[in-house]
Amino acid sequence: MPVQPLNPLIHNQALSLAEDNRRAQPDITRIFWFPDDQEVRLVELTEQIPVTTEGEALPFYFRAAPQYDLPAPSAIALIRPQEFGHLRLPSGWGDWSDAIEL
Amino acid sequence: MGWHEAYLAQARSEELIRSQLKAARVPYCHRLHYLQMVTEKLAKAMLTPAGSSSPAPTTHTAFVRMLQVIKGRREIRGQLGFADASLFRSFIDSLLDLAARIEGLSPDQAGLTHPNPEYPWEDPVTHLVQAPADYNFPQFDVRDPKMIKIDRLVSDLLRLAT
Repeated sequence: MPVQPLNPLIHNQALSLAEDNRRAQPDITRIFWFPDDQEVRLVELTEQIPVTTEGEALPFYFRAAPQYDLPAPSAIALIRPQEFGHLRLPSGWGDWSDAIEL
Repeated sequence: MGWHEAYLAQARSEELIRSQLKAARVPYCHRLHYLQMVTEKLAKAMLTPAGSSSPAPTTHTAFVRMLQVIKGRREIRGQLGFADASLFRSFIDSLLDLAARIEGLSPDQAGLTHPNPEYPWEDPVTHLVQAPADYNFPQFDVRDPKMIKIDRLVSDLLRLAT
């Protein structure tokens, strides 16, 4: 299967948001990016979040904010480290093996 | 209208009632009830992408999770007037405990033994049955600086949400 080229605009925003979020929440231990051509999709691991009882990662969605150098919409889910690989992902995010650690 | 827009519309309508209740001579439980409902709808709006044809997942921790996520959002920080990221982080962190207690006000979380602004409960120690309208909710004192801050934050987030 051919490797899909990554959208550099989305990739750069993913890196930038990951840096922001690590700074804002130092207890985030790992950040994973689920590549998509239109939207930045991140799953961030932290112990400082309630256990997810819903069985699925729950991302919060944000519109693009170009004036803040966020040209693409984004979605961010916080989960506990032990939940990685076990929760259902939102529709269209692929599976856990698609995650790229940032 | 998608689910995101519908949650926001309902949250804004409830926020209007909440603001009217502040000036009304009614038991405090009603203000708290609307605060809990507004925070729930606001968080659900953010759990659904714009134009979504699916409702938000059912969760009892959406408001606290939402606050934790927005700590790292530079556009929200900027729109709320925080120039410094660490100050914004501290501001949000200081409200997480209260946010969790507000989430706990929903009847399905409070059950029949904990104070909530909607249904009577029975005190597990005294076995007295309490009506919300007759209870002053000291853990949500309207003069508490954190209550004042979260009240303002909720209004501001609703104003900014699109």
